[in-house]
Amino acid sequence: MARKSVLALSAFAAALALAVTGCSSGTTPSAEGEVGPNGWSRKYAGTQLNVIAEATANSGILESLLPDFEAETGIHVSLEQAPYDSLVQKAVLDFTTKKGNYDVLSIPYEYLGSFAENKYIAPIDDYLKTPPVQLGADFSSDDILPNLWEPSSKWKDNLYGMPSNAAMMMMMYRKDLFENPAEAKGFKAKYGYDLAPATTWDQYRDIAEWFTRDAGKEAGGTALAQPLYGVTLAGKRHVSTVLEWMNYSWTFGGDIFDSSGNVAINSPENVASLEYEKGLTAYAPPGFTSATWDEITAQLQQGTAAQSITWGDTAGAMEDTTASKVVGKMGYASIPVKNEGDAPESHLGSWTYTINSSSKNAEAGYEFMAWAMSKPVQMKLAEGGGLPALTSVLTDADLTTKLPYWKQIYTSLTQAKSRPRIPQWSGISDSLALDLSRALSGQASPQEALDASQQKVTELMNGALPVTYQ
Amino acid sequence: MGTDPRTELGSASAALPRTPGQATPRKKRRDWAGLVYQAPSLIVLGCVVLFPLVYSVDLSFRSYSLVIPGRTGQYIGLENYQRMFRDADFGQALLTTLVFIVFAVSLETVLGVAAGMLLDRLRRMKRLVTSILLLPMIIAPLVVGLVFNFALNAQFGYLTWVLHALGLPGGDGALNYGPTALLALILVDVWEWAPFMTLMVAAGLSALPKEPFEAASVDGAGPWQTFRMLTLPMLRPVLAVAILFRATEAIREFDKVYVLTGGGPGSWTTVNDLYQYRVSFAEWDMSYGAALGLVTFAAVLFLAISAFRMLAPKEL
Repeated sequence: MARKSVLALSAFAAALALAVTGCSSGTTPSAEGEVGPNGWSRKYAGTQLNVIAEATANSGILESLLPDFEAETGIHVSLEQAPYDSLVQKAVLDFTTKKGNYDVLSIPYEYLGSFAENKYIAPIDDYLKTPPVQLGADFSSDDILPNLWEPSSKWKDNLYGMPSNAAMMMMMYRKDLFENPAEAKGFKAKYGYDLAPATTWDQYRDIAEWFTRDAGKEAGGTALAQPLYGVTLAGKRHVSTVLEWMNYSWTFGGDIFDSSGNVAINSPENVASLEYEKGLTAYAPPGFTSATWDEITAQLQQGTAAQSITWGDTAGAMEDTTASKVVGKMGYASIPVKNEGDAPESHLGSWTYTINSSSKNAEAGYEFMAWAMSKPVQMKLAEGGGLPALTSVLTDADLTTKLPYWKQIYTSLTQAKSRPRIPQWSGISDSLALDLSRALSGQASPQEALDASQQKVTELMNGALPVTYQ
Repeated sequence: MGTDPRTELGSASAALPRTPGQATPRKKRRDWAGLVYQAPSLIVLGCVVLFPLVYSVDLSFRSYSLVIPGRTGQYIGLENYQRMFRDADFGQALLTTLVFIVFAVSLETVLGVAAGMLLDRLRRMKRLVTSILLLPMIIAPLVVGLVFNFALNAQFGYLTWVLHALGLPGGDGALNYGPTALLALILVDVWEWAPFMTLMVAAGLSALPKEPFEAASVDGAGPWQTFRMLTLPMLRPVLAVAILFRATEAIREFDKVYVLTGGGPGSWTTVNDLYQYRVSFAEWDMSYGAALGLVTFAAVLFLAISAFRMLAPKEL
């Protein structure tokens, strides 16, 4: 008891001291109270804010910037980082207990429908119209890339947050090997066309076949200490396998639901796309059946594979001199399509800062969100190898010349397509993860695997068909 | 046996000798005293065992999802139990679990008996060997999984290197192919639990009377005959309990599978507990997960009761 009151007293004293120094340094007091040097409200100084986000480059950089936020606003943020599965579990369990342990949660956008419909997360429309506290001048919601923001935070009539990670899928390839004259000559002699970054799936497979070589052989003029593989892909029973396959599915003309909103998982287009992906596994490193996006990133960094359809937010890791053997050797391009001339598509994987409906610190949480979206913070994300969500940063001329992947990030974001965000997604994803993994590991044929998922998902969607909003 | 009051579980006073109809006030007080003394542990047990169990039973008749709106816990009768019968993934998981238990426990038993006999003959190093045998068992199963995950890694695992050098299956990553992944899980389980069988067998052997063996040797029985006709039958009660104990443990196998394969490739290593975990915590269908859990509980309970019956003194 005594300890508590001492704490409260000292907190009060600290707040007073801050308020006094704030006055003496000449900042203007606003309607809500004091503001920091850059115009951020200090109304919630002393507040403890709990935030959880996926363990990615963005979160790591953000964590290092938290002292700046505390200096500006007096709000202390404790940022927990967790991998995808574990983050979703922690979020759902916190939501259902209604304890509000996490004030701000960065969630993968496919859970938006579920969390919004269950009222786990609070809409921010009112805050966007009239900020609850004074925000710094370097935050402007107009600068957030619209085709990133909408799918990642709009559910039906409300906005539920701001994009925390502008991830999307793209093609990465070994530019140094592609540009090697001997490789180019050999490739043309064998396949009858020039070696260039693949724009169609046929080319992607040819290139995969071409670059698959045993250890001891040469690639790009040097002897290989380790085998080289044409592609690397995700085949584990894991969400990453589902998300990668959906790129093949979409570009082959397939989808989870057909145009009338019924389950179309075993459509001929989807089966063809899975057969294609299965064909690629012949050129993938052994162990693809246990690989997720993490293994893909590691294999690309080690130079084990020549091409991959993978996540844009790992591009920074390719150019990281402390961890990557392929710095300056990677090329970044749009995901191939089935027929030359088809419009490219890129699987959006963005994450969203949302406010827990049970949080007692919603206004401070909003201030944190806005600060994370402010231009200086977003520039630091970009410079540190993460991905921002602001148009001005994504089109920044300096960054475009400095970072080899910058142009492609913006291009891919404009091609982005989102997966269904309906509440049943977790079940659909788990079912597909199993059946895609069965097909890729050879336990079932693509047709059998997708038939099984079709049946399971149809049962899961019982009463919710047709899907008219996803 | 059913009439033996000692086998009536759950009654706090059952352990006390008691003749019906002759309850003196003094005896009555002693009964009450027993209950009062046991109350704290009974309350704790009630909170951590009984309440979740009753809650699960109730939940298993409802429709409750943490992510799908509208499925807030309505009663749906036996729907969750009916679903099990048409759930092909559940059937597959049961089959995988069965294969896992049968192969792992048989191997552990055979190895355990062989090693136990050797251990029993040891004279000087017995203590040291016994301590070493305890090691795999005292490592947390999750850590066992992590250790072998490292050893069996397709790119840099040392066991992968050994398998590759010997030209054995699994030389390019045992965990990446269905059959070798399942085999690897079984062998890791054997590595972890065969020592348990060994110690059980060794303990059983040291408790056996010496006279029958001396008599057999006088009668000129060979080692194999002695083993088949004497050792094995006399070890039977110990072995039965050890096997049942291992089987109830193996039904609940989760940690090693979760760490080593995540249930893959495909569904090759998706054992029952892992399947339930995915239903409850990946698909968030808490009610179906509860129903699946109760069915497993019933199976474990059946095995446990069998084990208790074997432990209980035989009726004369």
